[in-house]
Amino acid sequence: MTLRSPPPEPLTAGPPASRPRPPSRGYWSEVWRRYRQKRLGVLALLYVVALSLVALLSPAIAGTKPVLCRFEGRWQAPCLGYFVEKWEDRMPVARKLRKRYSPERLKEADPESWAIWPLVFQDPYRRVRANEWPGRPGNPSGMEGRPSRLNWLGTTPTGVDVFAQLVHGSRVALLVGFVSTGIAALIGITLGALAGYYGGWLDVLLSRAIEVVMCVPALVLILALLAVVDKTTIWHTMVVLGLTSWTGIARLMRAEFLKLREMEYVLAARALGAGQARVMFRHILPNALAPVLVPITFGIASAILIENALSFLGFGSPPPNASWGNLLKEGQRSLSMWWLVLFPGTAIFLTVLAYNLIGETLQEATDPRLREAAK
Amino acid sequence: MTTYLLRRTLLGLVTLGVVTMIIYGLIRHMPGNPLLMAAENLDPSRRLTKEDQERMLRAYELDKPWYVAYVRWLVKLPRGDLGTSFRERRPVLQVIGQRVGPTLLLSGLSLLLTYLISVPIGLYCTVRSSRLDERLTSVFLYILYSLPTYVAALGLLVVFYLKLKDTPWQLKPGMVSDDFAMLSFSGKVQDVARHLLLPLVCYTYGGLAYFSRFIKANMEEAIRQDYIRTARAKGAGPVRVLILHAFRNTLIPFVTLLGLTLPGILSGSIILEQIFSWPGMGMLFFEALNVRDYPVIMGLTLMFSVLTLLGQFLADVLYALVDPRVTYT
Repeated sequence: MTLRSPPPEPLTAGPPASRPRPPSRGYWSEVWRRYRQKRLGVLALLYVVALSLVALLSPAIAGTKPVLCRFEGRWQAPCLGYFVEKWEDRMPVARKLRKRYSPERLKEADPESWAIWPLVFQDPYRRVRANEWPGRPGNPSGMEGRPSRLNWLGTTPTGVDVFAQLVHGSRVALLVGFVSTGIAALIGITLGALAGYYGGWLDVLLSRAIEVVMCVPALVLILALLAVVDKTTIWHTMVVLGLTSWTGIARLMRAEFLKLREMEYVLAARALGAGQARVMFRHILPNALAPVLVPITFGIASAILIENALSFLGFGSPPPNASWGNLLKEGQRSLSMWWLVLFPGTAIFLTVLAYNLIGETLQEATDPRLREAAK
Repeated sequence: MTTYLLRRTLLGLVTLGVVTMIIYGLIRHMPGNPLLMAAENLDPSRRLTKEDQERMLRAYELDKPWYVAYVRWLVKLPRGDLGTSFRERRPVLQVIGQRVGPTLLLSGLSLLLTYLISVPIGLYCTVRSSRLDERLTSVFLYILYSLPTYVAALGLLVVFYLKLKDTPWQLKPGMVSDDFAMLSFSGKVQDVARHLLLPLVCYTYGGLAYFSRFIKANMEEAIRQDYIRTARAKGAGPVRVLILHAFRNTLIPFVTLLGLTLPGILSGSIILEQIFSWPGMGMLFFEALNVRDYPVIMGLTLMFSVLTLLGQFLADVLYALVDPRVTYT
C-alpha cells in the first residue's frame, strides 16, 4: 500500500466545476468496499481471525501449565512454554515443580501462591494421568478414548487429548500458511520483478529456472528436499514449502512488470532521475501487487494442505508436534477411532475452505473487468 | 513451425538435464543408503560387516561422488537403460512398467468420469444461473473443491470399510482380494470394482468440481458476447445456442487445461495410493524414496518431468489448433 499526499491545488484555475466531485477513493479502499459486499468472503475472513485468536491464546484454552501464577512473590507465566520451551525453563516455578503443575503441588511448594489455569486442563503432547488435577481421572487410551465429558473430542491411542492437540495445532497451521507463503512470495516477487524489468538474458535464465522448478512435481521435490534434512522440524517443512511454491507468483509478477515497465509514468519517473531500484520497488511494485495477492492467498491454502499431507505421510516433523496431519496419521492406523479422522479432517477442511474463499473474493474484488461492469 | 519445434525440444532437453541433476544430487545426499536401509530390516546377526558394505557399495557404484554417478546415469540414458532397481534387482523400466497398469486404470477412468460429468454440470449451472438449484450446486462444488483428498479418503474408508463391514456394501483398500486368482471372470471384475470404487471417487471429485466451475466461469463470459445475441436473433434454439455457439467457444481454455492434466494421468497420487494401498506409480515413488532406491526414484522423476514438459508443449500446440489466430514461428 502506498500513502499518497493529497493532490496539490491547481496553479491555474481550471474550468469551474459545476458540482464538487466526491472525494475519490484509493484503490485499496475500493477493493475493500467490494470485498465487504461478499458475505461468504467476510465470513471466511472472520474464521481466519478467530483461528488466529485461538492460536494466540492456545495455551490459555487448553494446557496443563498455569496461564499466570504468583509464586514466591513473583509473577510468572509458565504457559509461555508452549510457545518457546526456553522461556519456561528460566522460570523459578518451572524449576521448583519440574514442570508438573497442579494446584496441590503449587500450594505445597509455596502456600501463598495462586494461579490462573487454562480453561481446559489437558496437554497437547502427553497423556494427563489420574489426579493430576484434583479428583480428575486420567485420560483413557485406545478404543476407550471416544469423545466424552472430560475429553470433548476423544483421545489418541496413547491417551493424548484430541481437543488440546487441535487447539495447539492451529498454531502450526497458521504459521505454515504465512511463513511458507511469505518465503514463496518473497522469492517469487523478487525473481519475477527482476526477470520482467530487465528482460534479456536475465529473463531467459530466470524463466528457465521457473520452468525447472515447475517441471518437477511439487511433492517429489518436497519429499526429496525433506529427506535430505536429518531431523525435520516444522521450520524445515515451512522453508521447503516456500522454496517449491514460488513459481506461480514469479510468472505473474514477471508478466506485470513486462507490462508496467512500458507505461508512461515509469518513463516519467526515470526522466526525473529515479534510480533503477527506486523505479522497481517504489513505482512499479505497488501497482503490480494486486494481481499476485490472489495466488498468495491460494498459496496459503495449499501450504496448509501440503504440510498436513506431509505430516500424514510421516515426512513432517516428528512428535511431539501438534500438526493436524499427525492426528490424521494416527487415525489412519486405527480407523475404528473415527474421531481421529473426523475432527482434524474438519479443521483442515474448514481452514483450506476459508483461505480459498478469501482468495476467490479477492479475485472478484480486484478483477478490473468486473469493476468496469459495476460502473 | 520447424524452428519452433526444434527450439522447444532443445530447451526442454536442457530443462530435463537440470531437473535430473538437481534430483540426483538431492537424493544422493539423503541420510542412509540403499544397503543400510535394507540391512536395518534384517536381523542384527546378518548385518553386513564393514568390508562387505564397502565391497557392495563398489559393486553398486555408490562409492563414487554423485556427479560422476550422475554422468554415468546420463550416458546410459539414450540406450533406454535406466539402471537396475536396488530393491527388486530388476531393470527400472520393468519395475515402473509393472505399476503403469493400476495407475492408468485409476486415472484414465477418473479423467473420463470427470469430463463426462463436469460438462453437463457446467452447462446446467450456466442455464440455471443464480437460481436456487444453481446456487446449491455451486456451493456443493466449492465444498468438494476445498475438501482435501486425504481427509475424504479416510472418511470414506471409515464408513465403507469399517462401518459397513460384513454387509454386501463393504468396499476394500488394495487392488484385489487375496483369493483373486480363484475367482471366475465376473467375480474378478466385481472384485476389482469393489476395490476400485473408493480410490476412484477420491481421485475424481476434486477435478470434477474444478472442471465444472471452470466450464461455468467460461460459459458465463461466453453467453454475454454479441455473437450469442446474434445467434438468438437469427432464431437458433436455446440448446443449439448453448452448445454450438457458446460452449464451442469456451473450448480454447478447456483444451489448454487438458494438456496440463497429462502428467497427472501417469504420475498417480502418492497420498491416495498410499491410503488405499493401490499398487501404482505414486506408491512406487513413496516406497522407493523410503528404501533409497536411487535408480527407481530417478526413473520416476525423469518420467514425471518429461510428461510435464510434454503436457505444456501439447497445451500450446492444441491452443494453436483450436484457435486459428494463434501461430508459432
